[in-house]
Amino acid sequence: MNKKKISVKTVIITIITLILLAISLFPFYYMIVQSLTSWDMVDKTLVPSGLTLRSYEYLLGRGGATNSMMWFKALWNSFAVSFPTAVISVVVGLAIGYSVSKMKFKGERFIMNTLLFQMFFPTVILLVPRYMITRSLTNSYAGMILPLCISIWAVFMYINYFKTIPNDVFEAAKIDGAGNLRILTSIAFPITKSVTTIVFLSIFMQRWNELMWDMLISPDINMQTLNVLISTQFKPMGAFPGPMYAASVILTLPIIILFLCFSKYFKEGISFMLK
Amino acid sequence: MKDKMKLNPGRKRGLVGWLLNAPYLAYSLIFFLIPLIWAAWLSVMDWNLMSKDRTFVGLDNFKALFSDTRVQAAFVNSFRYLLPIVILCFLGGLVIALLVSKLPDKIKGFIAVLFFIPYLTSGVATSVVVKYFFNYNSVFNEFLREHFNLNVNWLTDEKFAFWVMVFIVVWKMSGYYALFILSGIESIDVEVNEAAALDGSCGLHKLIHVTLPMIMPTLTTVIVLATGLAFGIYTEPYLLTGGGPNLSTTSWQLEIYNASFTRFESGYGAAMAIASAIQIFITLRIINFITDRLNRKFGY
Repeated sequence: MNKKKISVKTVIITIITLILLAISLFPFYYMIVQSLTSWDMVDKTLVPSGLTLRSYEYLLGRGGATNSMMWFKALWNSFAVSFPTAVISVVVGLAIGYSVSKMKFKGERFIMNTLLFQMFFPTVILLVPRYMITRSLTNSYAGMILPLCISIWAVFMYINYFKTIPNDVFEAAKIDGAGNLRILTSIAFPITKSVTTIVFLSIFMQRWNELMWDMLISPDINMQTLNVLISTQFKPMGAFPGPMYAASVILTLPIIILFLCFSKYFKEGISFMLK
Repeated sequence: MKDKMKLNPGRKRGLVGWLLNAPYLAYSLIFFLIPLIWAAWLSVMDWNLMSKDRTFVGLDNFKALFSDTRVQAAFVNSFRYLLPIVILCFLGGLVIALLVSKLPDKIKGFIAVLFFIPYLTSGVATSVVVKYFFNYNSVFNEFLREHFNLNVNWLTDEKFAFWVMVFIVVWKMSGYYALFILSGIESIDVEVNEAAALDGSCGLHKLIHVTLPMIMPTLTTVIVLATGLAFGIYTEPYLLTGGGPNLSTTSWQLEIYNASFTRFESGYGAAMAIASAIQIFITLRIINFITDRLNRKFGY
């Protein structure tokens, strides 16, 4: 009898959770459905009678009214900016994390203080001067990547992670005569797999979704990221809703799929974020 | 002589250490320290971003902030955003975490990740959906008109536009914060739960007297994160309302961006940014003070 009572409770909790989940995922359902609805029915129905790919063809196909290459280019630009940013964040975070928590070198204090000092300032203060410094790199990948390529959060993720790894792991390799660089690449990097996955994906996602900086530094339509292109095409009131939904789906889906694929690393990673 | 050139192990370690940190230090110099000093210098200048003329105006930019209605709106709005966002994100995260923690182990992880999906969504995509969904002719507004005789201008009515912004942020962040709270709940010792069960503590009583105090540090993290978030609102008002109607949805970020890059009052924009940083700093100190007190009360 007791067993049955528990399972009834579980069923109720599961149902409530699923309702809540349905509400929280409703905007995605709406976005996808509207991107597939015929244009005269966009925003007029929640359950369309027929689906069509017209909105996607309009964006990406040759028959569309817009410059279709522009959307492909924007998707590529987003990737070309986000991927190197994530790689640099990981490499720099790993290098600082290892050297600060495991190498006992003299600059450790100084680096930690610099990091803490930097964490303190909201980046909005730096907006105008950063723009002045980077202005010569307008409409280039470098101009988009460099100013935002290092994440203090990522650095602290690695510092905290290495603090939980016992020193013996590295001492053994040192006794065998391996140098610090060697240890870093062949021992330290492999054991950070879960942290690296989370840092990489999070930075990739944040960079993919960045708006303000990319809008400033890269106004040329051929150098805009997908995020910026949607916002510039969407802001004037004349945009067709269907293609805007389709573009939003193209913008959102890669990130969601990427995260779902690697979701098993999350649990471990979240517990480090709390430290 | 040659012997001296050879590095001893300590020296070498120092060299490798600095080498590993060199990219970060170069970055900090170019994209942090120099801009920071530059920002301070800009804030006492009258300068339009392009021209060669820059005039030193002393503290005039800062004085002008006080009588600027946009600045006042940004200042007030950051608190108006802060309160409902922190409270609702906190409650949303807590409810999701409590529900998910009671699910069977098999589906728990997967469901938690699904709740996390809104967090991954670009503010631009969200804005597209929200703008069209709340459009006058949308299925949603037609439904409200037909069945409830309600005619709401969601994004142009002062009363509603602000809450639409809050709702977007809460929707986006709750599942993310739920992951933190969930991980806090799951780290509570089995023994604590057993002891609570022995004492007959369950339901709301258990939540208030056992679970919440046990996860206080996690809750503190969530509150601090949500505070930072509330001060950083930008994309949604920029795309959906332009800060209006009547500046009711504007934020520091939006006003700083507009002053610096739309009206080209860059010196003034820099002064604004410094003012916003001061507000954020003081608010975070106050929140830290309160959460420290609470933490101490629960023995952390």
